Amino acid sequence: MSLYPAFARPRDLGQAAEIMGSLSTGAMIIAGGQELMPSVNYGALMPEVYIDVGQIAALKGISEEAGAIQIGSFTVHRDVQNNDLIQSKLPLLSYAAAQIGGGMQVHNRGTIGGNIVAMHPLYDILPSLLALGAEVDVLSDVGEVRVALADLMKDARHGLGSESLLVRVHLKPMMPGAGWSYEKLKITAGGYGSANAAAIVTLDSSKITSLRVVVGAVSALPVDMSDTLSDCCGQAWSAHLAEEVEARSSAEIKEPLSDHQGDGEWRRAMAGVMARGAIEAAIKKAG
Amino acid sequence: MEDMLEDTVLVNLRVNGKLHELEIPAHKSLLDLLREDLNMTGTHMGCMTGHCGACTVSIDGRVAKSCITLAATLSRAKITTIEGLTEEDGTLSPIQQAFWDEAGFQCGYCAPGMLMCTAELLESNSDPSDSEIETALAGNLCRCTGYQSLKRAVKAAAVKAKEKAS
Ligand SMILES: Cc1cc2nc3c(=O)[nH]c(=O)nc-3n(C[C@@H](O)[C@@H](O)[C@H](O)COP(=O)(O)OP(=O)(O)OC[C@H]3O[C@@H](n4cnc5c(N)ncnc54)[C@H](O)[C@@H]3O)c2cc1C
Ligand code: FES
Ligand code: FES
Repeated sequence: MSLYPAFARPRDLGQAAEIMGSLSTGAMIIAGGQELMPSVNYGALMPEVYIDVGQIAALKGISEEAGAIQIGSFTVHRDVQNNDLIQSKLPLLSYAAAQIGGGMQVHNRGTIGGNIVAMHPLYDILPSLLALGAEVDVLSDVGEVRVALADLMKDARHGLGSESLLVRVHLKPMMPGAGWSYEKLKITAGGYGSANAAAIVTLDSSKITSLRVVVGAVSALPVDMSDTLSDCCGQAWSAHLAEEVEARSSAEIKEPLSDHQGDGEWRRAMAGVMARGAIEAAIKKAG
Repeated sequence: MEDMLEDTVLVNLRVNGKLHELEIPAHKSLLDLLREDLNMTGTHMGCMTGHCGACTVSIDGRVAKSCITLAATLSRAKITTIEGLTEEDGTLSPIQQAFWDEAGFQCGYCAPGMLMCTAELLESNSDPSDSEIETALAGNLCRCTGYQSLKRAVKAAAVKAKEKAS
């Protein structure tokens, strides 16, 4: 074993599966490196082998097939922001990708796959993907499976990053007329927020007919409030309902994060404020 | 399987038009490659964690922070560094001249990020607004100018670039 890390450059999914199956957990997939490299340079992480997935054509491209949109995991934020298909059919996602910090440089290299796999509480893409009901294809040496992103995130043994590869994301286009919003509360000039929420709402006259709300940056993983708030359906938005939404969303945050983005009690309070604000903004856009 | 693992990696990079073939260790950042192997010290090291932007270069026409770019992943890429912005006769490019004229830098440490991002912005937007300039420069920190002269410099650069094009 060399003192320095080794490098593997699979040309296709078959080779990637073979490599992942044969290496120890010290191997790490690298896509844009925008999450990995800061940790490596900081001394917090030392991969034994880098698996560079940038040559695999199957991880690239954005397409529409059988009424669903596929986004290759190696798609960079800049392309998620500017792609016509995503802008017209998944405007929430292209807007959320534009709210990522780090500047144009990070948008040009950071990938949607790296953002998902990092499962970092402060990152910006997961709340929208969960609100949109994303599914993902995951490849390991035993083959490729399609799973709901929400289920994958609950599975502590997903092995993504060393034993398995995120291949692509599947998303159903947003319903025509649906209102949407992604609200990110920032208290510093840096990239990260202290609380955020993605919401998608449909209305009939002024009554809510469907509601998806996911709150991020306040706990270890984003919290899907859609079931908790499902009784908003059938009601028209009012000051009273807004207050109730805020209080119930805050109450759903059982273990709030306390870090340099703010202390736990305040984060819990902001979870409610973001959920309420995102729904309100989405309702204004619905029609 | 072992034959798929490389201890060192062969990369072919075209840097400011000149081709370099290098055998590098897998963990080397593009920043270290430029500064240590190619002795091109115009690209600066500020933080190594992706926050300051002083190490910015353009890779295949898109700006990137070279400290958090693994060089081994870049085989056959075209890199432009701040040294590559000057005109062929060695004079300053319109963007560099505008930064000079408007005091767009003081110590110049942040210049790679500010200039490379301005160059990319002006390629697609010949008349950027204040907020478009802020978005384009958001990945860069400047400890000297207070950012006002930077905005002036980008606007002056837009005017100069248009003059040159017409
Ligand atoms: C200065 C700065 C500010 C930032 N601000 C924000 C912000 O405000 N919001 C935000 O959301 N993000 C932010 N980021 C994080 C940014 O790194 C991510 O958004 C980016 O998407 C990571 O993608 P990547 O391709 O660079 O990942 P990499 O660093 O290449 O990989 C990240 C992780 O995912 C694994 N991985 C990557 N691709 C795959 C795959 N296909 N299958 C399996 N595993 C995989 C890797 O093994 C690693 O564990 C910031 C980064 C920087 C440097
Ligand atoms: S040195 Fe690369 S961003 Fe600071
Ligand atoms: S001019 Fe000194 S850091 Fe910007």
